[in-house]
Amino acid sequence: LSHSAGTGALAQWVLVELQGEVEPRQSRDLAGSLLGDLHYTCEGVPVLIVGHHILYGKVVQLEKPFAVLVKQGGAPQPSPTGPHGHYTVTALIKTKLLFKTRPKPIITHVPKRV
Amino acid sequence: AAMRSRAEVDATLQTAKLNPAELLPAVQCLSFGPQAGGGECCLLQLEPGLCAELEAGRSLVIRGEKDEHAVLCSKDKTYDMKIADTSNMLLFVPGCKTPEELNADAASCNIIHSQIAGFSKNYWELRRCRPKLKKLRKLLMEDPYEGPDSQKDQTSTFSKYTTEDLLSLIQASEEEILHQLQVIDACKIEGYWRVLDFDYEMKLLNHVTQLIDSESWPLSKVPLCACLEELGSLEPREMIEHILLSYGRKYVDAGEVFFEMREDKICRAIAQMLLQNAVKFNLSEFEEVWQQSVPEGMTTRLDQLQGLALVDRSSRPETIFLLKVEDLPEDNQERFNSLFGVRQKWTEVDITPYIQDLCAEKQTVGALLTKYARSSMLNGVKVYNSRRPIS
Repeated sequence: LSHSAGTGALAQWVLVELQGEVEPRQSRDLAGSLLGDLHYTCEGVPVLIVGHHILYGKVVQLEKPFAVLVKQGGAPQPSPTGPHGHYTVTALIKTKLLFKTRPKPIITHVPKRV
Repeated sequence: AAMRSRAEVDATLQTAKLNPAELLPAVQCLSFGPQAGGGECCLLQLEPGLCAELEAGRSLVIRGEKDEHAVLCSKDKTYDMKIADTSNMLLFVPGCKTPEELNADAASCNIIHSQIAGFSKNYWELRRCRPKLKKLRKLLMEDPYEGPDSQKDQTSTFSKYTTEDLLSLIQASEEEILHQLQVIDACKIEGYWRVLDFDYEMKLLNHVTQLIDSESWPLSKVPLCACLEELGSLEPREMIEHILLSYGRKYVDAGEVFFEMREDKICRAIAQMLLQNAVKFNLSEFEEVWQQSVPEGMTTRLDQLQGLALVDRSSRPETIFLLKVEDLPEDNQERFNSLFGVRQKWTEVDITPYIQDLCAEKQTVGALLTKYARSSMLNGVKVYNSRRPIS
């Protein structure tokens, strides 16, 4: 029932927070599929292009950082009384990219007036 | 799937009508890694100080058996764990670069492929809580130490607990556990933590107080060596030293070890010894016997018995009975229920010793009373009773 830092410095990851569900274009598994392109404007505003949507966000320094726990030995879902089992802290997250604005659809084809 | 090329990225930018000149040159193409959907990763929101502890290489431990709510323990603190749901999707991306990092890396190429390691709609929240230490006392009371002459120890089938055993069974941090062991005067015998059987403890204390009396030592300067010499034939030396440590304050004077005996603690123990023999006592009779039973030079006071005994000033004659806070439930609501079962209405002065230990960090007794009790006036005095109807 313990989790502890491995030897060496902990990796720093980044959290990307999106509204709603993430659904892959195809019906196959999520693994390996593309989410989108992440750009930053020259002012540092994150811009994420997901499918036909443009999402604008902001870089947030987290007041309360997160630790990423990885369960050892494969995962039944944690029970309501808490995460039981052996965990390792894999990384820390101190920064998140928060995308909360309504996505702007990308119009790929404007039908011409006939 | 083949990795996106820069040309494809630029084409998307064009379709999206975004001006590349307004963007940093590097794009990060995010895709889901092979383990991403597995659900083996979860997020833990860290309270202040915990992040620094992890970065310093210290561990955090999750403790709790299947039927207990899990807690997280650092070296010296305990936290409740609770799931927090967000309505958003949280993706964790190793190696994802911030604008500052991209700008700082002058030689960076203009396309980076990053994998999303996992995602979640929720995370674990922590809230500092009282360590769950009642179980510690319960475990050690399964088999109290009755002395070397006791037959029990040789044939005992009860579990005995090492420090490691306690660390795995008690939902508290190591420091909190070690501190509590000190508070309850536990001692290590043959590598196992034990509490003394109360009668044996009183026997040891009696040896010491009788010796102090016969040698006419001042209560503030009891010499360790002489005690070990005089009493060593009666009891194990470790036990003599243990009782001195439990009931005295150790100090060194001119290279010799002495103990300043703790009047309050000794009077309290003797009161317990007297009170445990009956359901209740006539208060004035008790006070007389009690004063006569304590060592010469010590003065008994009722406030020494806080959390140990309760005085009933409404009965005629006034009475006193044993009520030990450590025998009461650990859970807040259950504690109040049992207290109101003992007595319907309590003054704040009387109830405080029995709820003090429930206070969380920065919580007051007053706040607890507001939450779990209802106040009213009785003969000009403010009293507290249960919020629930008495059945």
